[in-house]
Amino acid sequence: MPDPRHERFAQVLVDYSTRVEEGDLVLIESTALAAPLVRALYRRVVQAGGHPEVRIGVDGAAEALLARGNDEQLAWLSPRLRGDSREANVRIAIEAELNTRGLTGIDPARQAIFARARSKLRDLTMERAAAGELRRVVTAFPTNSSAQDAEMSLADYEDFVYRAGFLDEDDPIASWQELGERLARLAEWLGTKRELRVITEGTDLTVGVDGRTWIPCDGKENFPDGEVFTGPVETSVEGHVRFSFPAPHAGRLVRDIELRFEGGEVVEAHASEGEDFLREMLAMDDGARRLGEFAFGMNDSVQEFTGHTLFDEKLGGTVHMALGKAYPESGGTNESALHWDLVCDLRGESEVHADGEVVYRNGEFLPDLF
Amino acid sequence: MQSCLVSVGYKTGVTDPRIARLADLIVDYSLELQPGQVFRVDALDAASPLALEFYRSAIRAGAFPYTSLGLEGTLELLLEHASTEQIEYIAPQQWEEIEELDAIATIWSESNTRALSRVDPARHANYLAAQRKLHNRRWERIAAGEMRWCGTLFPTHAHAQDAGMSLASYEDFVFSACHVDSETAAEHWRLVSSSLHARAAALGAVKELRIMGPDTDLRVSVEGRSWIAADGCYNMPDGEVFTSPVENATEGEIRYTFPAIYHGREVEDIRLRFEGGSVVHAEAARGDDYLKTLLEMDKGARILGEVAFGLNYEIDRFTRNILFDEKIGGTMHLALGSAFSQAGGSNISGLHWDMICDLREDGEVYADGELIWQAGQFLHEPMPAPAPVEATEHA
Repeated sequence: MPDPRHERFAQVLVDYSTRVEEGDLVLIESTALAAPLVRALYRRVVQAGGHPEVRIGVDGAAEALLARGNDEQLAWLSPRLRGDSREANVRIAIEAELNTRGLTGIDPARQAIFARARSKLRDLTMERAAAGELRRVVTAFPTNSSAQDAEMSLADYEDFVYRAGFLDEDDPIASWQELGERLARLAEWLGTKRELRVITEGTDLTVGVDGRTWIPCDGKENFPDGEVFTGPVETSVEGHVRFSFPAPHAGRLVRDIELRFEGGEVVEAHASEGEDFLREMLAMDDGARRLGEFAFGMNDSVQEFTGHTLFDEKLGGTVHMALGKAYPESGGTNESALHWDLVCDLRGESEVHADGEVVYRNGEFLPDLF
Repeated sequence: MQSCLVSVGYKTGVTDPRIARLADLIVDYSLELQPGQVFRVDALDAASPLALEFYRSAIRAGAFPYTSLGLEGTLELLLEHASTEQIEYIAPQQWEEIEELDAIATIWSESNTRALSRVDPARHANYLAAQRKLHNRRWERIAAGEMRWCGTLFPTHAHAQDAGMSLASYEDFVFSACHVDSETAAEHWRLVSSSLHARAAALGAVKELRIMGPDTDLRVSVEGRSWIAADGCYNMPDGEVFTSPVENATEGEIRYTFPAIYHGREVEDIRLRFEGGSVVHAEAARGDDYLKTLLEMDKGARILGEVAFGLNYEIDRFTRNILFDEKIGGTMHLALGSAFSQAGGSNISGLHWDMICDLREDGEVYADGELIWQAGQFLHEPMPAPAPVEATEHA
């Protein structure tokens, strides 16, 4: 008997997030750990008239390639990867790892070669999404590895994940639509602003957003969701920022990242753990030193830090910014093989100024702005 | 917004060294994977440990590997819920892949070998017919020497259950059949290969085989046909020599002691009588109706398409899996239905049903009147043949 939460999860992803239609080629990408959700999705996609194709990763293959492959092998793109990027109408990617630190021992320079080669496919995916040819959602299936990062039991972590997606409610889709309307008003209001300044302990950062588009995220590309984001003006970022949450990326963890920006570019970078990896990522290409995204986390059902970016960046009362590639639909033009979201907690004493005026204090927008 | 899924992996548990040896054997010996070749591993999720070892082995060989893992249970969902159009759909990139690939390894590894028992056979047939187009293109490229393929099995509880064994005993059985319980598996298979090629060459001079056993006295003409040594290039394990008999010449009776399995259904104690090459009488103790239905499939279904000697003596028991059963040392199998053109056979049929005849106790085989096989063994070693000519199989 299928777990009813998996059925509901699948229903929201297929009917609401990706709106699968008859004839769509739908990729369901995960590991065997998410098998119950993958099967529920498969059935739902078939019932919606789509053509589901399952892509199950092999645990350990990425490590084998990164540890032992030559440069040509690292950079090689299989016909499957290329074909999937070109042909899919819908992609549902489900994170489900046995070990979220499995690549800690890998040479970061080799990870950079791997990431640079794959960035072509990622760019194609982003272009096709921006052009309306592709709908894709990234989500996560609760696993022991993620529960461990969150310092929770698997049962508690499952509750956390399903609550964050409003899947514990009778009508999750209605709740997402309601949040979506609020975020759309916020995005429209932010669209009238030229410059934001974020001030909190260890942080005083100015970000130009003049002429850029803010995108409300209501569960269609990430699930769970709940943020508004834009692509900052590439040369505008000035000041310093401290990311209070540990930053996981590509199978490892970096702690206490501090960055200083001048003319839009990182000129100084520190971390208490993983600093070498941070520097290697910043050196990946020119765009890796600039912000490609600036965003407000607006999901109040995510109340605690769990060490998983998909959730942490949605946490109500945070902002996040990504080093690297900008999303074309935001008007951002930064190009990079990197896109690394870093989350800054503003729930303590903090302020955000928009064009010189205080609009956000201690994790919340001031009332009646939008 | 998070933009992509970074798949991080690591290996579950401790690897049985035999799994890595099996992967190395197939990569180096069966497929002879070369640097720069594009290699795909097809499997279900239960075979992940072997798929990972294939991937590692191919990386070591300098090839470009990728895995194509399905999830157990999705085919049932498709066959149960999908429209005909959905069942027959093939994603466009699959056609592109089949042109680019230099080698494929297929790992059979089911979690329930009877999972499709209750699906509508017509819908299943639709699915198989649609997939066949892709398979045909694969086999064209293999026949043209443009691609290599090898099929193997990763032990699961389901396969062990069919064999009536524990998983641990079944693992021992599978890995010893592949000879990967030793560290010199490739050397073993090279020796097997030269011995099988010598046997095939010797059998090539034979005009008629007469198979004698309990309730069995069958004459099969093999004059002018080529015997093929199955030496681990296409299947692992392997170990048989086979040809396709002269279509109108089979005469006499045969009784199959092992159950014959077709698409998961077992037919027990089959007895056949041949006249002028065709089955004229057939009966079975169980599954008689099914046997007769299959014989009616088409004209070629009553004619032998294959005769073969099973010569893998590590495979010493019937396990309800044709990959192993047809190679049981001391058995012969004679398949009804389609023949092998590379052996000189011309019989055409939708059927190819391998039926295995146990000759280990009382069996005798005569070649042009001379006793060549007794109690499951050839009586004489063939003269050593020249080095095996792989090209004849792949040309």
